[in-house]
Amino acid sequence: VSHLGEDLTALLDGALPPARRAEAEAHLAGCDACRAERDRLAAALARLGALPPPAEPSPWFATRLEARLAELEATLPGGAPAAGRTGLLGRLSAWRWRLALPVAALGAAAGLALFTVRHQRAGRADELAVAAQLELLEDLETVRAAGDLADADEVAVVAALDELLPREGRP
Amino acid sequence: MSQDPDAALMLAFQGGDRAAFRTLYQRYARAMVGYCHRYVKDAARAEELAQDVFLKVHASAARWTPSARFKTWLYRVATNHCLNELRRAEHQARQDGPLDEEGSPDLDALASGGPSPHQELEAGRLEAALRRVLASLPESQRAAFVLCRLEGLSYEEIAGALETSVAAVKSLIHRATVTVAAALDPAAPDLQEGRT
Repeated sequence: VSHLGEDLTALLDGALPPARRAEAEAHLAGCDACRAERDRLAAALARLGALPPPAEPSPWFATRLEARLAELEATLPGGAPAAGRTGLLGRLSAWRWRLALPVAALGAAAGLALFTVRHQRAGRADELAVAAQLELLEDLETVRAAGDLADADEVAVVAALDELLPREGRP
Repeated sequence: MSQDPDAALMLAFQGGDRAAFRTLYQRYARAMVGYCHRYVKDAARAEELAQDVFLKVHASAARWTPSARFKTWLYRVATNHCLNELRRAEHQARQDGPLDEEGSPDLDALASGGPSPHQELEAGRLEAALRRVLASLPESQRAAFVLCRLEGLSYEEIAGALETSVAAVKSLIHRATVTVAAALDPAAPDLQEGRT
């Protein structure tokens, strides 16, 4: 007998497409085991309604966040946050052609590094990964700030690139 | 994306309108503090994590495009940040030894007004049991469950936040729900703990 499995939870969540929902309901009507499982899951989900309400921000949440934002903005050249980011990206964009050669060299380094850490995944996928990393070169600060690098290998690669990337004030 | 009420604010912020960012964080502060609190027990730490999330959003705002719904993107940033925090805390705990017992209800919270003491105590036990079982789940199941059951996101929104498919979300939520249901069964040992 094939029971509902994942569809049972999706049915409770109203997340099944109409046709599949009709099939699932028809199955439920004739299956004691699935009805019992549905009732068990529904009861558990109903219990979640008795949880304490979520934590509220404290009265000083905004004040502290504003202070941290001010600290962050103070580190950005150009003042206002969005303008600062746009300015940074804009400057990187303007520097793109002047940096073409070093960036190409860094790209080669990135390719080599990625090839080293992902040597088992050679081929077209790696070329695309290198191209993606080249995009990161244009926005390293953002990438590092966002903290959304996929794994330790990428962190290591970007850290190495960061050391190589020309930067204002860096010889 | 015209159906996204936050898109105009993000676009304005990208154009340098700082007030637009303030409106955004005011709109989502409560949700983010609550969401982060699902991952850490300490309320002050949850608030700090929520602030980190807004700082990350601020720092990477230039990368957002209207093709991504802001709310989904925000939850993605928050989920990644909270999971990173858990990994960091677990790593630290392995080095330092266990510092905190997640299983006991927050007595400070229970002391506040509202529902009866009995209801508060039961809610505290339930929350503690939920924290324990959530901590035992794989990260992706935990995130999907919290986003679905506690934050009310749709399967599609969760797929966006976790950068996976709706089919994968369906599977994650099902497996997590089955595990949580077993732990929250009134006869389960987790809920029997502390009862006399």
